[in-house]
Amino acid sequence: MHSSLVRIQNVFGYFTSVAFAVAAAVAVSVLLSSQTPSASLELKNVQVVKGRPHYYSTKREEYAHVKFDLDAGMRLAFPQPPPSKLTHPDLTSLFNWNTKQIFMYITASYPSTSPSIPPSEAVIWDAIIPSDHAPFHPNTYIHPTSKTPPKSKSKSKSKGKPYPEGASAGIVKLSNQKPKYQITDVSGKIAERENATLSLHWNVQPWVGALVWTNTKSYGRWSGLKGGADKFDFPSLKGSETIKKEDLKTETGAEKNRGSPA
Amino acid sequence: MEPAFRRGDLLLLWNRGMDTHVGEIVVFNVRGEDIPVVHRVIQRFGGGSEPLQLLTKGDNNPVDDTEIYARNAPGQAYLDKERDVVGSVAGTIPCVGYVTVIFGDYPWLKAVLFGLLGLSVVMQKN
Repeated sequence: MHSSLVRIQNVFGYFTSVAFAVAAAVAVSVLLSSQTPSASLELKNVQVVKGRPHYYSTKREEYAHVKFDLDAGMRLAFPQPPPSKLTHPDLTSLFNWNTKQIFMYITASYPSTSPSIPPSEAVIWDAIIPSDHAPFHPNTYIHPTSKTPPKSKSKSKSKGKPYPEGASAGIVKLSNQKPKYQITDVSGKIAERENATLSLHWNVQPWVGALVWTNTKSYGRWSGLKGGADKFDFPSLKGSETIKKEDLKTETGAEKNRGSPA
Repeated sequence: MEPAFRRGDLLLLWNRGMDTHVGEIVVFNVRGEDIPVVHRVIQRFGGGSEPLQLLTKGDNNPVDDTEIYARNAPGQAYLDKERDVVGSVAGTIPCVGYVTVIFGDYPWLKAVLFGLLGLSVVMQKN
């Protein structure tokens, strides 16, 4: 029972047991981290136009173009910040030791035409925000800066970060942001639908363990999301002569730009 | 679904009585094919009395999945949740499945493994 093969087997078996135990501990200990997310989301403009929103659209249909303001700001959850900073909204506390990245997305949900069918939902904007420990991937979101981009590409290699200058991961401040996706309805008509809601959601992708989505209710140390929703109605169809082509441009995400600022 | 999941990660799925919402990650088969695809739901219509229809997109793809849905008649513009979706991702364990991936990519490794096992059986004293 003392051959090297048996010893290797024992060591390997012990290694896998310990690895699984540590992974289970990491996955479960996430419940102990405190989260206090909050954000403010405001609809800036919505236009409904008739046209071909996708390159594969075979017929003209109505689609909606929604612009919004998002303020998901910063507050260090530990140590306690000075009271003046407490008014800022906060998404940074969602990053704990088990967070690989957070997928933030903004959805527009609107009721369907018949009462037996639940509301339809569509994502209009999303961003992948990695945690600071995660390895770099060209698909991460790069927060737009208010400064103009540098003219020469060779000199200043500005490595875009997923958060604004001087902030930490989880802060996203967008104003008059263009959507990434237009909203179309399966029936082809989206004008004059009422009671639509624009809301912010996130999906925390962990290193190991359960995936977590937005919680609006509080569970123990995890506070629910405060704010981050806005109600609106889809306006009526706008004639093509009153809409400028630039107003309907969508944002291209990092997955299309592959490293250049989104 | 990079950078969230890489090849070799184990995904734990759940599919009991779920009302799939946007933002959830679903595993589905394109109708007619047996290739499971792990992508995120970005639109949903229907549900309740009508079949729930979903549109998906991979996080690492610049466009949604309309192009990979079935094209032949009858084509698919959306996924039907009951028929096409295998499950929704609820948890993940990284790197555990990499052994299976390696054996799939390099089938000769299976022969090597069996050879080593045979050798160890022959060389043991009992």
